Order: sequence, then C-alpha cells, then structure tokens
Amino acid sequence: MNFDFSEDQRMLADHARKFLSESCDPERLRSHIASGADYDEALWQQMVELGWPAISIAEEQGGLGMGALELCVLAEEVGRVLAPTPFFSTVCLGAELLKRCSNSEAAELLGQIACGEAIVAVELAAKSLQVDADLLTVSGSLPAVAYARSANFLITSALLDGKLSLVLIDTTATGYQTLDLPEGVDELASYQRVSLESVPAIVLQSEQGAEALIDVITNQAAILTAFEQLGGAEVACYMARDYVLERYAFGRQVGVYQAVKHRLADMMIKIELARSNAYYGAWAMSVGGSELPLAAAVARVSATDAYNFSAEENLHLHGGIGYTWEANCHFFYKRARLLAMSIGNIAHWSKKLLAAA
Amino acid sequence: MDFNDTREEAMFREEVRNWLNDNAGDYRQPLGMSPGDVRFAELGRDWQKQKAKAGYAAISLPKDMGGMGGTAMQEVIFAEEEGRYHVPVGPFVTIGCQLAVPTIYTHGTPEQIEQFAYKTLMGELLWCQMFSEPSAGSDLAGLRTKAVRDGDDWVVNGQKVWTSWAHTADWGVLVVRTDADVPKHKGLTYFLLDMKTPGIDVRPIKQISGESEFNEVFLTDVRIPDRYRLGDVNSGWKVVMTTLMNERLNVGGESKGLPSIDELLDVVRSAGDDAAPYHLDVARHVATDMGLKNFRARLLTSVSRGETPSAMSNMGKLVSANMLQDISAIAGDILGMDCAFSAENNELAKKFQYGYIWASALRIAGGTDEILRNQIAERVLGLPGDIRVDKDIAFAQLPAGK
Repeated sequence: MNFDFSEDQRMLADHARKFLSESCDPERLRSHIASGADYDEALWQQMVELGWPAISIAEEQGGLGMGALELCVLAEEVGRVLAPTPFFSTVCLGAELLKRCSNSEAAELLGQIACGEAIVAVELAAKSLQVDADLLTVSGSLPAVAYARSANFLITSALLDGKLSLVLIDTTATGYQTLDLPEGVDELASYQRVSLESVPAIVLQSEQGAEALIDVITNQAAILTAFEQLGGAEVACYMARDYVLERYAFGRQVGVYQAVKHRLADMMIKIELARSNAYYGAWAMSVGGSELPLAAAVARVSATDAYNFSAEENLHLHGGIGYTWEANCHFFYKRARLLAMSIGNIAHWSKKLLAAA
Repeated sequence: MDFNDTREEAMFREEVRNWLNDNAGDYRQPLGMSPGDVRFAELGRDWQKQKAKAGYAAISLPKDMGGMGGTAMQEVIFAEEEGRYHVPVGPFVTIGCQLAVPTIYTHGTPEQIEQFAYKTLMGELLWCQMFSEPSAGSDLAGLRTKAVRDGDDWVVNGQKVWTSWAHTADWGVLVVRTDADVPKHKGLTYFLLDMKTPGIDVRPIKQISGESEFNEVFLTDVRIPDRYRLGDVNSGWKVVMTTLMNERLNVGGESKGLPSIDELLDVVRSAGDDAAPYHLDVARHVATDMGLKNFRARLLTSVSRGETPSAMSNMGKLVSANMLQDISAIAGDILGMDCAFSAENNELAKKFQYGYIWASALRIAGGTDEILRNQIAERVLGLPGDIRVDKDIAFAQLPAGK
C-alpha cells in the first residue's frame, strides 16, 4: 500500500511551505488589502521564478513536465497562506484546460503561462454568453470572475449555435470590460463583473468536446479546491490549538476543558477525513480514470465541511479577540465561505456525488 | 501514489489466498448462527488450530514466542483475506491470542509462558477479559473488585461486567484491587483466572437487541493461587496498559451483518423523490464512508512502511459508530412505518433496525465517543489532560456515587 505522496512531492511541499511562510504572512495580507491591488505582484513573480505556473505543463510546451499530484501539493500550500495571486485560475484551471486543447493558440498561451507571461481568468459555468458564429465574437456578461481585471486572457463557456463551447478571449480586445464589485465576502479575493460586447473569440472546444472538457476541468477544480480548503482548514485548526494552550480562564489553560478539546478533536477528524478524500481525488486525477467524478465530489463535500467547521470554530475558540481585524481568524473564516460557494455549493456537489456513487 | 501491495506484500497475499482456498472451504457461506451463538467458540478453536499449524496463528509475534515473526502489514493482509470468508474469528479467540498472550510474554514467569502461550495460540484455551465493572467503565482504574492474600492464595470478591464470551472461556485475565489505601492506579493487581474455579457465576446480560453477547461475572470467595498473579502485587495497572496497547490496530474492514452505505443508497434510490430531503445528509455520509476507507489506506501505508500509526487512528470507531447510527435512522425514516413492524419480511429493513440498535453500543464500547475525542485532542493535538482530583488520594477516600 502506497497511498501517499512520494518523497519528492513531499519535498516540494516542504520547500513551498517554507517559501510561503516567509513571503506571505498575515501582515503581508493586511497590507495587500490596504494597497487595493488586485493581486500581490511581487509574490506572483516569485512563484513564477520558482516555476509554479509551469509545474504541470509538458516540457515540450515549455513546462516542467510534472503532474496532477504536484499541482495538488502546491494548491494545499497556497491555501494555507491564502496567497493573493491568480495561481488557481491561471495554473489549476487555465493551464489544465489549455493542455487538453489542440489549437495553436492554446499551445502558445500555455507557453506564456509557463514562463509567467500570462495570467488567465476562467469561467466554466457561464450559460448565457453568446458566440456569433459568423463573426466569431462573444457578447454578454458574467457576474463575478476571479482576476478578470488582471488577466491577459479569459477562457469561458459560451453558447455557440445553442450548444456549449469554450472560447478564449484576449482581454485587451475592444469590448472587454471589467467592473468593480462592491465589497464581497473575502477582501483577499479579486472578483470583477465582466461585460463583453462583440469581443473577438477563439473557439477552443465545441459541442461534446467542450462539455467533456468542462466536466474534467470542473472535477479537477473540485479536487484542487479541496486541497486549498484542506490547507486553510489545517492552519485554522492549529491556530485554535495554539491559542487554547496560551489562553487561561478560571485559572486554567482553556485547552483543558472538554467543551474546547472536543471541538478541536472534531476539527481534526473532519480534516483527516477530508485529507483522505482529497488524496483519493489526487490519485483519480493522476490516473485519469472513470473514478474522477466520484472522487471529485467526495473530496469537495468533505473539504468544504472541514474548512467551514474549522474556520468557524477557530474564530469562536479565540473568543472576542477572534472578531478583530488584527487577529487572523477572519481571513480563514471568509475564505472558507468563499470557497464553499465558488465552484458550486455543497448541494450541487451532493447531487453529483449521489449520481456517481 | 497507488493502492497496490509492494512486491513482498503481494507475494504474501497470494500465499494466504491459496492457503485459504485450500483450507477455508467450509466458510464460503454464512454459518446462519446469531452473533452470540456458543457454537462459534467451538468452531473458533478448530479454525485457530488450523491457522496455527500453518503458522498464521500469531503472524507478527516473534518466532521464539510461537509466532511467524512477520510484519504488522502481513497481519493486516491475512485479516483482509480471511475476512472474505465467514470464518469463526471473534473475541472468543482474539482476546487470548492478541491480548492475553502478548501480556503474558511481557510480564509472565517462564512457568506461566510455558503453561499458557502455546496452548492459547493452538486454540486449546479460550480467554475472556474481566476488566470493566458496574462503577468502572471509562474510569477503569476505579474498579472495586477486591483480592485479599490468604496463605498461597488470593481470595477475590466483586463483580465484573460487559465480559464478552465469559460463558465459553477456559481462562480469563482479571484485574482487581489489592490495596485501597493508596491512590487508585497504585493498588491494582493482575491475575490469570481458571474459569472453572468455584465461586464464579457467569450470568448473561439481556441486551436491548434481545441477544446476550455480554455477561456479568460475579466473583464470590474465588481462590486464585499466587502463581497465577501476572506481574508484581499492586503493579497491575502497568500490566493492564500492556493488554490495552495490544488491542488490535483499529483498521477494521467491513463488519458482517451491519448495513453498508451501498444499502443506504439502495433504500434512497428506491424511494425516488420522496427521499429528496435526505439527499444532502446521505451524500455527506457517503463522503464520510469513503473518507474512512481512504483514511484506512493512509494508515496501512504507514503500517506498510513499518511505522506506528498515529493516535488519529482512534477516529475510526468514533466516526463509524456515529455514522452507523445516523444512516440507520435515515434508512428507517425512508422505509417508514410500512417496514417498522414487518421487518422479518424485509432483510434490508431488518439490517438497518439492527444497525440502529447496535450503534448505541458501539458508541460506548472500546472507548466512548468522549474518551476517544479526549485521546485525539491530547495525543494528536497535544492539549493538556483533564485536571485530576483522584490521583494523589487514597482510593478508599475517593467520593463514590451510588
């Protein structure tokens, strides 16, 4: 039995953890929010230098030629520190999607992603954008897209002759417009409304090809998000653990009280179940078999429950101080909520789970 | 990352499969006996002897102790393969082979090892474990059964409870209080007791299921020769710890006779839209069930590397017992009153009804939900233990409830 990451993969995780803990601490998150920037450009540049955007892109396309498991490892580490970068949209969604397209434009963009020249925004669930089949332009609007303003390219689902397709849009083209959204659930995330007016588009995939690709990338997104959630959940759990060891009430460490201990034990249980299912997801991604839909759904459901619970109880166990901007609980509390909604809620994934089980 | 055996593991599995194929033929089908049927114990002796002759009686015990000198992973592989058959393996055999024998090897005299170890591994001696008492469950060291020295013997008086298979056991491991004037953990002594000794009264407990797998054991002026004391006088707690540490690595597979998550899905699907309000809960249970299976695969990975699994493995029983209760309740709700009183015609309904009943025991036995949460919090997360008011005070001075 060898149901674990390899030594090399664990080494990658260690390096990533060390780098991120030094370059993306909570103070940095607070100053990032204060700066009003869409993403932390310096941090993203460092990730590029480490080769992270290239990690799962094939060597002949300019990448490092590693696979799904390495991507999972990085997703967890990024999730631990809530790194405000377009890593997920560009690398976990964009590159994974483009790898599975045969157009020359896709290959070219992959190369740009690999060397850090392109940021990509991705929307897989859009059902209202229309492609003009003659002019090959797209029109319509998207209510909230991550990193839509920072992105060099947008990949989105759109209707072509009434059928789902995937299109690639250059965000510098005339007619592409992003609009600020009022304050949202998570200040560390950058989301904009997108308005498209006859924007030229390249069709990456159409008809069954598009539907199948959207399915694969959506399932992968659930698994990679599960790793991101797992990273955040574990940090929240240990943050609570450290605090209840430090805090005294009624003459004792509050960590002595069973009401507190049992809550922490439950966090750990949910996290270990979520980790086990996330590993199953990683395995399913890496072998690319028929178990992917089920693995994605169970990873998604377990990780969402684990992160929600850990983030909520972490803030709660901090007491009043947890409700302050200076304490870091809120970053996880808000991110857990965002991730619970961002790629389809738990009811949606439960349906998929029961269909696949 | 994969779910595959290593080459050595695969070879051992193949060897075990062949051996079972040649030797476990009688157990391809369920035996059609209720879980507490005494005939299991007799069949269990024979099956144990058969395993012992082939070297599988105590796979991970060193060779000089009568074992195979194998690895913990080989132990798991054998159990997995054996679990494909309906073999008569249960506490009646495992208490002796997995708990009593290692404890006797650790703390016993050469004479005790000589007398008990081989015979137990050969299935000739069945054992029971007399630890719990009416007022000592989670707080085991609070037990009150008393032994007083009388010449070369000890005279024991008191009551044990929840003793599985006491009615078929030849011998029992027993822990009693030999000094009440010192703190509770320091006045206990461990004995080996011949269950045919006069003064032992084994009474079956009628459980809420109507069955009687557990017993009360009343001990009245039971005389135990001092040569059957295991370890020093008043050092019994240390010996108890050895026994409890040997409780089998809790990576258990599927229990026969209990409803599975697939059976819940059958119930849910047959009910169509009527069951829709339960879908979210059901999906969560499916995710939890898969989480446990995948967690087990992670545990076995560390066993396979020769590591000791973390205290997190305590969560297995905690999670599965609660899940059993919940899924049995959901299935009951969905099947409804139509099945509530006519379950004998519906195997599935019967299974879920039994699951609901048994889950309540499972949440208590082998460490309650609360004790297991404490262990996870203390051993995995490093939280401090409870403030103890009973550690530095003579047992006789401790307040006792009714």
